[in-house]
Amino acid sequence: MKLEFSLKQNLNAIKEKLTSTDIVFLELKRGINSCLIFVRDLVDKEMLGELVLRPLEHAKKDISANQLNDLFLSPEKKEIYSVSDVIEEVLLGNAVLICNNMNFGFSFGLIKFEKRAITEPPTSAVIKGPREGFVESLPVNISMMRRRIKSSQLQIENFTVGKYSKTTLAVCYVKGIADNNLVKKVKKKINEIDIDAVLDSSYISKFIGEHKTSIYKQVGNTEKPDILTAKIMEGRVAIFVDGSPIALTVPYLLIEDFQSPSDYYNSSYSSTLARAIRLISVFISILLPAFFVTAELFHLQLIPLSFLLTIVNSIKGIPLSPSFEMFFTLLIFEILNEASVRMPKYVGMVVSIVGGLVLGETAVTAGIISAPTLMIVALSGICLYTVPELEQTFSLIRFIFLIIGGSIGGYGLIIALVGMLIYTVSFESFCTPIFAPFSPLITKDLKDGLYKGFLIEQTNRPYSIKTKNRVRLNIKKRKEK
Amino acid sequence: MKKELYVRQICLFFIAFLPVTKIFIMPSIISQVANEDLWISVLINVILDLFVLVAILNTCRKTNKTYIQLLEDVFGKTIAKIIMFLYVLYFLLKCFISINEQKTYVQLTLYETMPSVFYFLPFFIVCIFLCNKKMNVLGRLADVSWLLTTVGFVLLLSLSFSNVQFTKLLPVGANGGLNILHGYYRANTWFGDCVYLLFFMGKFNTDKKNNVKIILSYLGACLLVVIFAIFFFCIFTSIAGRQRFALTDISKYTTVINNVGRFDYIGIFCILFSTVVSVILPPFFACYLLRKIFNSKNTWVVSSIVTGIIFIVVILLTQYYSSIENFIFNYCNTYFILMAFVLPILTPLLLKKGEKYELKEN
Repeated sequence: MKLEFSLKQNLNAIKEKLTSTDIVFLELKRGINSCLIFVRDLVDKEMLGELVLRPLEHAKKDISANQLNDLFLSPEKKEIYSVSDVIEEVLLGNAVLICNNMNFGFSFGLIKFEKRAITEPPTSAVIKGPREGFVESLPVNISMMRRRIKSSQLQIENFTVGKYSKTTLAVCYVKGIADNNLVKKVKKKINEIDIDAVLDSSYISKFIGEHKTSIYKQVGNTEKPDILTAKIMEGRVAIFVDGSPIALTVPYLLIEDFQSPSDYYNSSYSSTLARAIRLISVFISILLPAFFVTAELFHLQLIPLSFLLTIVNSIKGIPLSPSFEMFFTLLIFEILNEASVRMPKYVGMVVSIVGGLVLGETAVTAGIISAPTLMIVALSGICLYTVPELEQTFSLIRFIFLIIGGSIGGYGLIIALVGMLIYTVSFESFCTPIFAPFSPLITKDLKDGLYKGFLIEQTNRPYSIKTKNRVRLNIKKRKEK
Repeated sequence: MKKELYVRQICLFFIAFLPVTKIFIMPSIISQVANEDLWISVLINVILDLFVLVAILNTCRKTNKTYIQLLEDVFGKTIAKIIMFLYVLYFLLKCFISINEQKTYVQLTLYETMPSVFYFLPFFIVCIFLCNKKMNVLGRLADVSWLLTTVGFVLLLSLSFSNVQFTKLLPVGANGGLNILHGYYRANTWFGDCVYLLFFMGKFNTDKKNNVKIILSYLGACLLVVIFAIFFFCIFTSIAGRQRFALTDISKYTTVINNVGRFDYIGIFCILFSTVVSVILPPFFACYLLRKIFNSKNTWVVSSIVTGIIFIVVILLTQYYSSIENFIFNYCNTYFILMAFVLPILTPLLLKKGEKYELKEN
C-alpha cells in the first residue's frame, strides 16, 4: 500500500500493523504536522534530536518536500513510499518521519544498541599477532574487514533471511579473485533459505552445506578478521550474519582447521613443527584408545614384553573388559568435558578437582579402571584440543573406532580407516575436495598444508581453491626492488 | 576439458594397489613349481603386462574416447555390452581369489586366536561403499595409499634384509624353462592389473612424456613385487612352498623385534590398508561396467548386488572353497589371459577401426 497525502490515514494503516508497545509514534504539531516512528530501544535518541527534531523545529507549515529534504543533514537518509517500507525500516531500527500533505516519508539510519566491545576471541587466542575478534554487530564486523582490505574490489552484498527475524547477511568477497560461479552458488543457496529465524551463523552453515548428514563441517568459520582477510584473499567467499561473531567461509578445506593464526606470525620452522605436532596429536587422539584396546585384546604381540608386563600388572583384578573399560573412561571424560563447558566458571574448578583427582585417582585405587587406560584417555583428550575446531567431529570418530577396534580388532580398525578415507576423499565443499591438498594431491599447496613454507615462497594462491587470479606475490617486482 | 583423473593419480594407483595383493600367497604358490626361479616367473608376468600397458597407453594418447565408446563404435552396442559382460565375469572371478586370500589371512594369521567369520564381514560394507563411488575416488585414494604401501614395503623389506641369503637364488634358471612357465601360468591370476587402465581410458589426459611416467611407476610397483619374491625365497627357501602369508613372518626374525616388540605390524597394517582397496578394485570395475550395461543410475543397488554375489560365494560357500579355487586355477586361467592380455593388447586396432568407421559415417 502506498503512502497517502493524509497523515491520519497513513498513521492508521501503520498502527494497524505495528501494535507493539515499544514502538513510539511521536506526533509533532509545531511547525509542519508530522509523526516520527521508531523502536524505543533501537534508536540513538541524542542523534535523533540533533539530526531530525531540531531541524524540524524550523520547518514552516507550508514547507515544500525539497526544502524539507534539505533540512536534514543525516548521512543515512532515504525516501520511502509505501506503508510496508515504513514498517520494515522501523523494525530494522531506523527512525521514520512521515508528514501531512506528503505521500512519502524519510527513513533515518540512527540505529544504536548496546554491543560487546571488541575483544580477543577465546577460541583463537594468539601470542603474536592481532588480537581483534568479531563481535555480534554486522556493521562493526564489516568495518573491521574494510580496514584490512582498502580496495574497491572488496564486494559486500546484503541479504535478509528469516521470515520473522529478518536477519541481515552480508556476502563478502574480492572481485577478480573469488570464482564467479562460487559467488553465484553462495548467493543462490542463501536465497533458497526459508526459515523463521536465524539466530547465529551456524544456522546458515547448515543450509548452505551440500551434504545434510555429513560428520564433517562443510563451511569454514573464524572469529578473527585477520584470518578472514587471509581466507578471502585466497579466493574464498565470506558470509557475515548480524548477531553472530563467527564469520563463515566457503569453500572449506579440512587442513584449514590445522592452520593456527600464529603459524603465519611465527617463524616457518616453528610453525612447521607446531603443525606436525597437531597432525600427530589428532592421529593419537583418534586412534590411540582403539589401538590400545585392539592390542590388548587381539594382538598382544604388538606390545613390547616389558610394557606388556606393566599392563598385565595394572589390569590384574580389573572387573571390566579392556574395551568396556576404555569406553567407560572415555565416556566419563566426555561427561566431565560437557559439564565443564556448561557449568558456571566458579564451579569449573570443582569439576576439575572432582573429575581429575577424585574420580580418576579413586577409580584406579579402587581397581575399577587401570592406570594405563586412564593415561591413554587423558593423552587422547589433550591431543584432541590441539585442533579445537574439529574437536566434536574427532571425538565422535574416536568412539566409532573404539567400538570397532574393541569388537573386531586390528582388521576392523583397518577397514574403518579405509571407510573413513573413502568418505573423506569423496567429500566436497562447494565443488572443492575437503581433503585437498592431500587428496587430490596438490604438491604446490603442501607448503601451507603439511608444512609451513616461507611467506615469500607462497607466490600463488592455493591451487585447491578455484580463483580468477592465481598470483598473489609478484616475485619479479620484488627482485627488481 | 577437465578429466576425472590426473596422470599423477594413475602413476600412484599402480604404486599403491599393484604390489600389495601379490605378496600374500602368490610367492608360495609360484615357488611350489618354480622354486628359486620364482622371480623369473614374476618377471614374465610383469613383462607381458607391460605390453598391455604400452598398448593401452598408446591408444589413450590418440583418442579421448573411453574403452566402452571405442567398443560401441567398432562393434555396435550389443557386442560392446557382451564384451563388457565378459569383463564383469572376469572381475568377479578375479576378486574371488583375492578376497578369499584376505579372509583366510585375517582368520589364520592376523589374529592370535582364530576369529569367527564375523570379523571379516565389515569388508563387504566397505566394498559396497567404495563400489558406489565415482572413478575419481580411486585416484584420490591412490594419492594417499601409495605412501602407506611404500612405507609398508620399505619397513618389511628393510627389517628382513639381514636374514636374506641371496645365494639361495643361484644357479639362475636351474629349475628349467617349463617350471618357470608353469610358475608364470599359476601367477597369472594375480597379475593383469593393467586391464584397469582400459577403463580409465578417456578419463585422463596423456601424452608421450606422461606415458613414460606411467610406465616407470608401473615398473617401480612391479620391482617391489620382484624384490619381495626374492626376499621371500631367500628367507624361507625349503619351506617357501608351504609358507603362505609370509607377510607376517618375513621380518619377525630380526633381533630388533625381540627388543622392541612386533613393530613390523605397522608395515603390515599399512600394506593391509592398501590391500583392502586393491581387493575391492575388481568388484568396483564390475559395478562400473554393470551400470554401463544396464544404464543404471541407482549405484547402491548395483554395488549391493555385486557385493551380495561375492558375499555368497566367499562366505556361504566356504566349504567348497578348494573346489572353486581349483576350478579357477585349472580352467579359468586361459580366460584370464584372454581378458587381461589378449583383448587389451588389441585395443590399438580398435582405434584404427573406430577411426575408419567415423570416416565412413562422415
